[in-house]
Amino acid sequence: MSAVMKDDTRARPLVSLRNLNKHYGDFAAVDNIDLEIQDGEFLTFLGSSGSGKSTTLSMLAGFETPSSGEILVDGQSLVNVPPHKRDIGMVFQRYSLFPHLSVRDNIAFPLAIRKQGAAETARRVDAMLKLVRLEAFAHRRPAQLSGGQQQRVAIARALVYEPRILLMDEPLGALDKKLREDLQDELRQLHRRLGITIVYVTHDQEEAMRLSQRIAIFSHGRIVGLGSGYDLYQNPPNAFVASFLGNSNFLRFTADGNDAGRFEGQAVAVRPTPGLAAGQEALIMVRPEKALALTVEQATREPLPAGWNEVGATVTELLFLGESQTCHVATQGGTPLTVKALSAAGMPMQPGQPVRVRWAVADACIYTEWAKSDLSKGAGAH
Amino acid sequence: MLLTPNAMGRPLRLGLYLTTGAIAAFLLLPILFIVLLSFGSSQWLVFPPPGWTLKWYGQFFSNPEWMDAALASLKVAVLTTFTAVALGLPSAFALVRGRFPGRDLLYGLFTLPMIVPLVIIAVAVYALFLKLGYTGTLLAFVVSHVIVALPFTIISIINSLKLFDQSIEDAAVICGASRLQAIVKVTFPAIRPGMIAGGLFAFLVSWDEVVLSVMMASPELQTLPVKMWTTLRQDLTPVIAVASTLLIGLSLLIMIIAAALRRRNATNA
Repeated sequence: MSAVMKDDTRARPLVSLRNLNKHYGDFAAVDNIDLEIQDGEFLTFLGSSGSGKSTTLSMLAGFETPSSGEILVDGQSLVNVPPHKRDIGMVFQRYSLFPHLSVRDNIAFPLAIRKQGAAETARRVDAMLKLVRLEAFAHRRPAQLSGGQQQRVAIARALVYEPRILLMDEPLGALDKKLREDLQDELRQLHRRLGITIVYVTHDQEEAMRLSQRIAIFSHGRIVGLGSGYDLYQNPPNAFVASFLGNSNFLRFTADGNDAGRFEGQAVAVRPTPGLAAGQEALIMVRPEKALALTVEQATREPLPAGWNEVGATVTELLFLGESQTCHVATQGGTPLTVKALSAAGMPMQPGQPVRVRWAVADACIYTEWAKSDLSKGAGAH
Repeated sequence: MLLTPNAMGRPLRLGLYLTTGAIAAFLLLPILFIVLLSFGSSQWLVFPPPGWTLKWYGQFFSNPEWMDAALASLKVAVLTTFTAVALGLPSAFALVRGRFPGRDLLYGLFTLPMIVPLVIIAVAVYALFLKLGYTGTLLAFVVSHVIVALPFTIISIINSLKLFDQSIEDAAVICGASRLQAIVKVTFPAIRPGMIAGGLFAFLVSWDEVVLSVMMASPELQTLPVKMWTTLRQDLTPVIAVASTLLIGLSLLIMIIAAALRRRNATNA
């Protein structure tokens, strides 16, 4: 019962992708991917459409053949194993239930194909129906179920033969927000209970954060960021990830050394950054909620703490968003910045007023290399 | 809808009902006529019939020539149905799923018999079978009928295959079924309405086909429409009305089945 067994060899890679490529003519849908997926891990491929995440999943499932590279599971190559012999479970975006079969027969299908005995089949199907809480719907046809129920049947069908790996291709994409969040919670609990390895594909970053232990961010067929949601958000490895995940402010500055520089003529301190040399152009990235906007009076009342930077700017727009509010400002040099704060904290300034924008040196990331397209949202697709 | 019956004026609506009624009558009256005449007591197909009788039905069913023709028709139609589905199914898969150069051309080729005048196909097939010495055989009937029935079958199967979400088949594969098992166990049941409709179309095409059949027929083997055609040229008997009624009856039944299937398919999807 490999799916239900939960061993403590957490750090052992179960799946290894090595130099994996998929080319369609001249076009590299997947470009030299290397990835180790740990046993029992919940890993999410996050990226916009066309970033290569679904193609990579398809190669894992066996529906696409790699142009080159290796897919290893437990050290064994999967490349020449047809999809029906891979013993991998998969849940599709459009549920993909068998329309002519009842819920029970849908779940029993993998066991019927494996010529499992009737008693064992009944036992396992019952256990799955219980797991996804659909006992009362066993005799219904898929068309008689809601979207959320259908997806639960699909999950049960993918788990009933106890695969070690479960692939999920945007499984909640077709559901509305509330239901999606409920199913996300269910999935997280399911993963915790079964200890199964889940590889999940989504373009929804909140979903990726909510579900996964690690996230692999895809862009142009490559993995450009890999780590926990916390690390990727707080310390994005590059400007693309910083821009792709959440919101970000980019301040272009000229370095005076590896820990200081000038932004629009004003001196700024930066995190000591290896490779940052005097005269070099680089980027400071500050999350909107890590920055503070102060009126001139507030700024004179509260002196700048040590380890903080301050630049002058003018308010362009204030937005009230309920729980939080944002203040959009422009620096003298015309760099747009966004500051976000909880509504409870209050923002006493008005559009057109001068403000001082502050941030802690430790909270700002520094990038010495970036492409112009990295800084615009929604990039990453071909 | 810009112009619904409710939105128009009363006179306009009345006019619409009248024209629609007239067109329906124009299409249906000949059929109604022939059905009524088959129960009429007049030897000379007089209308309105002076009385009602089942005599002509008795003559039809007791005459071995008519019965042989009806049986031949049924045999040819059933064989045409199965052959057309057997050939149409792989063709439809190739045309929908295949990625090869000339696919659209091939689709055009498969549907060509719908456009080419029947007489031309009939002459061509006749010349071929004459040379091979197969005219007047069951094979000649079935082959020539399949040629004209196949486009209908292929189109019907293609339509249901295009509506079928292939990820359902992929789901069966990842569940452990080989591609062939997945197609047989999952895809076929899902596109069954299209397959049945395609088969019914093939049956209908064959059942009332006359141009090809006249060419293929021999004194030993002729289908019901051919028998009607040759009888009609010798004498006018109400038995022809009986044969027509039976022909229409079976066609109607099959169309009702096809419509019911289509409706069930629509509610399932």
